Amino acid sequence: MAEEKPTPLELRRAGFARYKKDVKERGKSFYPFAMFEDTVMSLVVVAVIVGLAVLWKWTSYGPHHDGLHKGVIGPEYAPPADPGTVSFVPRPDWYFYFLFYLLRIFKWPESVFLGTIGVPTIALILLLALPFMDVRLERRPSRRPVAMVAAVLTIMSMAILTWKGATAKEALASEVIADVPSWVKTEKLPAAAVPGAKLFATAGCTACHTYLGTGGSNLGAPDLTNIGTRNLGISFQIRHLECPSCVNPGSPMPKFASLGTARLRQLAIFLESSKGKQ
Amino acid sequence: MAIRRAPSKAQVRREQMLAAVNYPLDWLEERSGLVGGVRYFLFRKVPSDTNWMQTLGSATLTAFIVQALTGVILAMYYKPSPHDAYASIQNITDHVTMGWLVRGMHKWGASVFIILLFLHMGRVFLFGAYKYPRELNWIVGVLLLVLGLTEGFTGYLLPWDQTAYWASVVGINLNGTAPFLGPWLAQFLRGGQEISGDTLSRFYSLHMLIIPGGIIALITLHLYLVIRLGVTSPPWSKEAAGREVVEEPAPVRTGLTRPAPHGGGRD
Repeated sequence: MAEEKPTPLELRRAGFARYKKDVKERGKSFYPFAMFEDTVMSLVVVAVIVGLAVLWKWTSYGPHHDGLHKGVIGPEYAPPADPGTVSFVPRPDWYFYFLFYLLRIFKWPESVFLGTIGVPTIALILLLALPFMDVRLERRPSRRPVAMVAAVLTIMSMAILTWKGATAKEALASEVIADVPSWVKTEKLPAAAVPGAKLFATAGCTACHTYLGTGGSNLGAPDLTNIGTRNLGISFQIRHLECPSCVNPGSPMPKFASLGTARLRQLAIFLESSKGKQ
Repeated sequence: MAIRRAPSKAQVRREQMLAAVNYPLDWLEERSGLVGGVRYFLFRKVPSDTNWMQTLGSATLTAFIVQALTGVILAMYYKPSPHDAYASIQNITDHVTMGWLVRGMHKWGASVFIILLFLHMGRVFLFGAYKYPRELNWIVGVLLLVLGLTEGFTGYLLPWDQTAYWASVVGINLNGTAPFLGPWLAQFLRGGQEISGDTLSRFYSLHMLIIPGGIIALITLHLYLVIRLGVTSPPWSKEAAGREVVEEPAPVRTGLTRPAPHGGGRD
């Protein structure tokens, strides 16, 4: 009698039936054996959470009676939200740093889409499709070199991106303002552009944009050192600052309309005068 | 010949006690089958050599339960309006009795929850536990990861401080860069053209009703599948329960990094 080779599906079904039989015959009862380990681990988790809460409270508000004090792992809260000031550096919670830092790699406008949507969507599709891409029965890590290398590379890149996001330099308005005289000199800015330059340094622009090497380079924001060479025009600059996404659909830049037309005009003059190193 | 003696007083008491304990359980079992269900859950067999790494799933569940309980308490004191939100957060953290503990556990529990989600996923990947017949449970798990991250994003705005506000302005704008649905999604999240009180109440509703509801539903499905399909044993298991894949002939390849397998396979 010729024996037919079992199909992969039959192999899997037979393997799972054997697993069920083995567990039934030789397995241990979930309670109390496995449940004991689960309980110990859960208690550790709760203890860690309580420990973090205590550390947070008793190094911030505890000794200082000020919830804004930084403490060891962060303040209780930042100053209240103020849509009028834009000098605050937008920063997500730490577990989004890897996404946040992707936007330093992909720049507006050519490739920012890859950083915001492209890479995360591809990663999600790969995750969902994993059990259908890897259909071998083999489970031992030593015999799954491709899967293990892919896992190590994924973990390493996420760790590096998170670390880079955590240590990314923030451009503080008080430090950036000191650079304005050197900007005037290097770019040979006219006197009319100086108020706009000071505003640029203090209004939060450098949280994302760079200018002559100063600034944050976040969220895909382009360098503005020689934005004036594109001759976009004062009125375009004002319209763009008032509502970036109205002019450039899909721009992640916040609206700066709250600065008022007069100050936006100063900013626009500064930007249009920025023709790079002269 | 056995002599039938009258039961002693102690024996009678014991039987009465047992009947008193069993009566409500029997009542419940007869009408719902729940007692049998719980018994099946507790006394089901798992592989004899499960690993400590396999406690990460229940640890993630514990972190979620901590988030749910502390979240309910926070909702009793938090006021989701741009005018009151910040003050109510200050009040909870600095004045309400043990409020700092509840908010601290919620704030830091979120990070612990996310870390555990990733660790649990890593363990499942390492063990190859996403393979037949557990593909569907892997997908449910990925959806749980996405919903967990969404909880993080929506919860971050609620304290209504500068960090929260500007991270959300940019985060919503980034959602808006998606093709086709992006602008619509950004508009929906903001509840208008600008971030406002409407945005805050939207995020609050998403954060404490819709997304947690989805998470609870998916966790239920996740656990149902774990119980139905059984717990995987470590892939390096020498126990019989780990042999579910051994029939696949091991590739006999030799090379610089891989010596010839002894006897062509395991066991």
